[in-house]
Amino acid sequence: MQGELPGQSVEEIAVDAAINAVEDSGLTFADLDGLIACKSVQGNGNDVTVGQLLGLNLPYVQSLDYGTCNFSLHLAVAAIGAGLCNTVLLTYGANARSRKFDFGRPMYGADMASAAGLVHIAGRAGLALQRHKAIYGTTDEQFGMLAVGQREWARKNPNAIFRKPLSMDDYLAEKYMVEPLRRSDVTMISDGGVAFVVTTAERAADLPTKPVYISGIAEHAGVRGEHNPENLMRPWLKDAARDIWANTGMGPADIDALYIQDPTALWTLQMLEYYGFCDLGEGGPFLAEGHTLPGGDLPLNTHGGQLSESYTWGWMHLVEAVRQLRGQAGERQLEAPETAMYLSSHGFVKAAASILSTNASVGS
Amino acid sequence: MSESPSPVDHPVAEPFFQAAAEGRLVVQHCNSCDALRWPPLSGCPECRSRDTTWVEVAPAGTIWSFVVYHRAFSRSLKDQIPYTVAMVQLDEGPYLVGRLVEGKKPPKVGDRVDAEFLEVGGVSTVRWRIA
Repeated sequence: MQGELPGQSVEEIAVDAAINAVEDSGLTFADLDGLIACKSVQGNGNDVTVGQLLGLNLPYVQSLDYGTCNFSLHLAVAAIGAGLCNTVLLTYGANARSRKFDFGRPMYGADMASAAGLVHIAGRAGLALQRHKAIYGTTDEQFGMLAVGQREWARKNPNAIFRKPLSMDDYLAEKYMVEPLRRSDVTMISDGGVAFVVTTAERAADLPTKPVYISGIAEHAGVRGEHNPENLMRPWLKDAARDIWANTGMGPADIDALYIQDPTALWTLQMLEYYGFCDLGEGGPFLAEGHTLPGGDLPLNTHGGQLSESYTWGWMHLVEAVRQLRGQAGERQLEAPETAMYLSSHGFVKAAASILSTNASVGS
Repeated sequence: MSESPSPVDHPVAEPFFQAAAEGRLVVQHCNSCDALRWPPLSGCPECRSRDTTWVEVAPAGTIWSFVVYHRAFSRSLKDQIPYTVAMVQLDEGPYLVGRLVEGKKPPKVGDRVDAEFLEVGGVSTVRWRIA
């Protein structure tokens, strides 16, 4: 669920999503033995506050930071693999829109850059895009294919918040917000909640719902942050890329549907390149060729992503990957996709990649 | 909307502002491994030593990238838009973020810049001008 949910706490939103997810899975709350809660941007909605509303005393509960959807999934895989639990509920609730959260405030307290006016995620993303344009010759028209393409996908999604047509001419006519980024290159802000149930393949086999399997995962951190050379290009993404392909024995050609968490379209451009869907610096021409649009050979964020569908910090990307693999995506349903990839990052410090499949034996 | 944040009260950055008031650009220097570091940290991420001094560096560098804000994300920035922020790579290595003063021509990645020292709202700081 997404949109505006005024007057609701992030815990209430997370619990509503959890009720839907548990019902969808064919399980009951009594079947759960783990809870991993992802906090909201304000830091609310942790395992204790969500767990209390759910009324659950479980063998394993844990909280992860804001914006850690993919990492929540990975922690569930690790906890199940370690025998801490078997069936884990993942929750996330957000009310940043109705609570008017100030995204212009520095996330980690005042610093030298914010004092110079480098505030909001669009500032650093804009610096990275400007550099990309200067080094590789990426044009506004090429980069704009992301915003325009996301809107094309969103127009097929009744749940998407931005569904008004956005042509390339419309895009190019938009004023810059933080030049070289326009409004449509940057995420919307919306409220919403998402929950998942993650369990073993053996347990899933007994359930009425069509399961989606986790074929492989990888992470890499770049926590040196601004002390990394060329940090805004996020060079540590390529380390997560190397590992996800090595862990699964797969390659970009094996991916039927691609999901990239997109606080700004620049993130998508960087990940397309580092994960090898095109060469480094070739993201612009690659996008211009239309691969990622409806009808293309690399469907990208088929729900519309954060630019057009909703602002649920990548959680709806994972929902959409599951819906596509289950064949439940309505008008935008791809033709029998078997493998989906979900790529995300946590600001300028962490990368995560997951490959999902309809087939239990795919990947490692 | 929040007011423009300033790190001037943060003790780890204090020497920077003191030097700026004297027209000097300083960054941190690790006495153990000689690495220059910016932004300031309480220890060296190269060798984990906390033995730090501040050293003067040449107030010159190259534009690594820049952005132009057409939207104000806080009240205090409202009368400043449009404003330009550049990430400058100093000739001696570290990257510094600062305001870029409008010149005769639009800035480009790779342009040479010099630091200017000025006082804004009672705080000494550094901004960049195309050389």
